[in-house]
Amino acid sequence: MKGAIKHLFGNEYDSDGFRTCSITGLEVHESVENHVKLFALTAVVAMAIGGAFAITVAGTRWELLSLLPEDGYYTHLSMHAWNILIFWMVFMEIAVLYVGGPMVLGRRLPLTKVAKAGWVIMVAGAVGVNYSIWTATESGGEAPLLTAYVPLDIPWLFYATAVLFLLGATVAALPFFVTIWKEKRGAPNKTLPLVVFGAFITSIIAVEAILGGIAAFGYALIWRLGIIESVNAGLYRQLYWIVGHGTQQINLLAMITVWYFLTHVVGGAVVASEKVSRSAFILYLFFINLGAAHHLMVDPGLSAGWRIFNTSYAFYGAAFASMIHAFAIPAGLEAGRRQRGLGGGLFGWLTSAPWKSPVFSSTIFSIILFGFVGGITGVLMGQMQLNMTWHNTYATVGHFHGTVALGTTLAFWGLLFFAIKTMFRRDYASGVLASAIPYLYAATMGLAVLMMMYIGILYGVPRRISSVVENVPGSEFSLSAAEPLFFILGPATLLAVLTGALFVLVAVGSLLFGDRLGDGDDGGLLPEKGLRTDGGSVHAIEMRGTFTLCLIFLATFVALYALNWFLLVQVWQIGA
Amino acid sequence: MGGPLDEPDGNWWDNPVNRRESIWLGIAGAWSLAIFGWMSGFTRFGDQNPIGQTYEVDPDAYQQRVAAYKEEADETEEGRLLPPGDSVYVGGRRFDWDGLPVVLEAGREYDIHLGAYDVQHGFSVRPEENLSKQINLQVFPGNEWVVPMTFEEPGTYRVICNEFCGRGHNSMSGHFVVEEA
Repeated sequence: MKGAIKHLFGNEYDSDGFRTCSITGLEVHESVENHVKLFALTAVVAMAIGGAFAITVAGTRWELLSLLPEDGYYTHLSMHAWNILIFWMVFMEIAVLYVGGPMVLGRRLPLTKVAKAGWVIMVAGAVGVNYSIWTATESGGEAPLLTAYVPLDIPWLFYATAVLFLLGATVAALPFFVTIWKEKRGAPNKTLPLVVFGAFITSIIAVEAILGGIAAFGYALIWRLGIIESVNAGLYRQLYWIVGHGTQQINLLAMITVWYFLTHVVGGAVVASEKVSRSAFILYLFFINLGAAHHLMVDPGLSAGWRIFNTSYAFYGAAFASMIHAFAIPAGLEAGRRQRGLGGGLFGWLTSAPWKSPVFSSTIFSIILFGFVGGITGVLMGQMQLNMTWHNTYATVGHFHGTVALGTTLAFWGLLFFAIKTMFRRDYASGVLASAIPYLYAATMGLAVLMMMYIGILYGVPRRISSVVENVPGSEFSLSAAEPLFFILGPATLLAVLTGALFVLVAVGSLLFGDRLGDGDDGGLLPEKGLRTDGGSVHAIEMRGTFTLCLIFLATFVALYALNWFLLVQVWQIGA
Repeated sequence: MGGPLDEPDGNWWDNPVNRRESIWLGIAGAWSLAIFGWMSGFTRFGDQNPIGQTYEVDPDAYQQRVAAYKEEADETEEGRLLPPGDSVYVGGRRFDWDGLPVVLEAGREYDIHLGAYDVQHGFSVRPEENLSKQINLQVFPGNEWVVPMTFEEPGTYRVICNEFCGRGHNSMSGHFVVEEA
């Protein structure tokens, strides 16, 4: 066991603890690399646990199987939600911060003891949350689900350990902030590389989210402990969604940072325009967390003006930013590859790309599916009136599986496939399986997400319920018209989970049994003609392929927007 | 050069932006403003807005209000309430909808009062015959939300709870009937 762990953390470094990465050319310090591995491996454990619960959740929602009774279903759903949406994501995001900060800047990780303490607190918090979810109903309470809405009877231990986890994440992020501070103190006039800049903005968004989470769970905790007598459900919802959605905004920014990183190192992308991409990150900084309000669109007690301003991220400032990245990232790839003479015509730069590399295909599927599926639907469901038809339906579940399960998960898998070769210095245990995984997952999860949306919007099937399609207990009514679609959704979801299991198998197998890559071996990751181009002005290079793709994206957006509004205006008259 | 891992060269802020990227910025900006304008404008010219007066009310007081309303209402032979005026009261509680079933007249505007007695619930409504015409509103204890609604099409409308409200949430459903006046 000890040998296996040593083997995972055993690269060769020079006397100062640095080594030169054979792919990126970065000077990587042992302290950074080992902590990235620690957080990333922990994230994979959380993903495996949460993914295992996806089987019982999906197998219950497919009422043909009805795997769990109502009692167990909410417990399993809570385990799935917390382990995937929170623990898998946040552990990975700490790893992303360490990559995006000290690793890219070629620095040591400062405060390594603080980083380790952060990890210990996060693990203790995560174990506590898992324990309190698992035992909630035994003690007569209710499973919390992701939201732990007051005044449900949810154990105080759940709120306490959730706060602990968030505090741990804050502690773990400190070494990143210190890195940025040291870097800027040393050279105040130097510009941070784009990836570092993206990671820095991510970390600020994360602090905002975490503060909201501590406020929300702390508020519920003191109520559960009897320190305050009553609790305000509406106030809790406002506080909760700062972290409930804020964490998903961290995912978004971390993912976009990873997109810039991976399209560059395996596809040869350049930055199409530093000014434009950085401005988009700044727009996120100011506006993206306002969007958390889209969870409160059909809540009582909030004025229409407040809802419209916030849900639109102030006149769609953050949606505009996302559309900027939607152009900038493929444009960087197009320009970088055209500069190298890789592929002509409209899409030659794309078709000639390394599609067999799971790092590349994961990244590109993440970009496309996040944009077309997760991003568009996020804006649609966030419109105050359209939200009436989306709120708490299965379509909502479709939306955040489009963002998190498809977009962010694929991007992070890409990063892990990259880390297996670059940081663990192992070849894939099976190159064929590694290449196939992004395709299998994108296809099966993509299909599942589309079905969730159809089922939610066209049949009004709610989320978070174990039985409603075949029968609503105690009622002659049911939503059985939606049943045929579950014959697509059920198998697609289960296949997606199996693909996730295959990913874990290939990743762990590679770490344990993959061939060791020799010094200087790039593992076939580097783009043709090297990582760096000969130079020249990027702005003058053709970006018509990207422009065409973006126009297709816009046409899809407009069509789905019109369709959703068409469906809404069929409904009876509502509202003052 | 020009990679996202490198410090950008020189005065990068003044580097020109590709023509197509500039055009895309214009398109994306215009679309952002357009969808904001539509959402905002729809509150003035549209017929489906989740907007209504909210009152803070103690959950017990709201329950009494619903009880008083039920007392005043007539009942049909099938045990459905006939609202005494334009106000219809619905109270979410684990695990049924107090105040339902009720009979409404098609084409008449009602003030639907929504509230909850215990925990959060989801007021999810659709006509039995057309599941895609569905809307969902959040209700929680401490608030009485008055949302005007006019149902043009007669038929049975089904209400289910779509916010997790504890074990038993599955069975929380109700209905109302819209009849020609």
